[in-house]
Amino acid sequence: MSKRPPREYQRPAMQKSGLSLSGKALIELMQAVHTKGLPFRFNAGGHSMAPFIRDGDVICVSPLASRAPGPGDVVAFIHPETKLLCLHRVLSAHGDRFLIQGDNMPEEPDGMIPRETILGRVTRVERAGKKVRLGLGPERFLLALLSRCGLLAVIRRYAGPLYACFSRSHVSCEKR
Amino acid sequence: MNEIRMDMIFSHSSDVVSREIDGALIIVPLASGVGDMEDDLFSMNETGTEIWNMLDGKKTVQEVVKALAQQYRAEPAEIEQDVAGIVTELLKRRMLVEATAA
Repeated sequence: MSKRPPREYQRPAMQKSGLSLSGKALIELMQAVHTKGLPFRFNAGGHSMAPFIRDGDVICVSPLASRAPGPGDVVAFIHPETKLLCLHRVLSAHGDRFLIQGDNMPEEPDGMIPRETILGRVTRVERAGKKVRLGLGPERFLLALLSRCGLLAVIRRYAGPLYACFSRSHVSCEKR
Repeated sequence: MNEIRMDMIFSHSSDVVSREIDGALIIVPLASGVGDMEDDLFSMNETGTEIWNMLDGKKTVQEVVKALAQQYRAEPAEIEQDVAGIVTELLKRRMLVEATAA
């Protein structure tokens, strides 16, 4: 009597996943794509980098390659406490550690983040199919300085009209 | 490619990355030079995942079919037809390349 194979057969199938990836899955896929030296594009969620990155913006994260993150860069990193993917701005560099904080989270700095937990640099933000121009260009240095001095929140509070103008093309942080 | 022969060997294209995450295989096409979650992201069922993992540039299609026939309650002819089908689909999407036998 022949031995029967133990498992029910299911025909092989492949489909567009339709998955909304988050957390560990998102981090793993980003790392996998970065090992090929290619950028990773995904949909951001959250408000911690508002107004420069907003909830629902499409973000492109490029591998760091040879250039270390610098002040003003928005980086994707694994948050040391939550272990979730986070996109926040580098305020200052201290060797292989970086002071990082969300533009919209002046009361909740991420602290000193080691380079090995930084996955890549945000190189493009799209909103409604259009490139967001503010937040990643030369103005990023000023934004990092203002944030470090605690002035970004003040400006947001008192420079409403200007900020509203900025917010047409803003940022958000994403913990996913 | 018109026909999948049983002596053919295939491997994953360099234009994709794949990861098994929480038991599910996710394939990300990189053809546009970007790993794009906003574009096409593919997943496989269990059998498809096993086939994908066995298309490693070493095993022939026949060896893949034989391995599956030892694991599942199905006729080898049915498995052979299904493997050829999924390989054809993967080739069409440029997720596989034919590998030269060593």
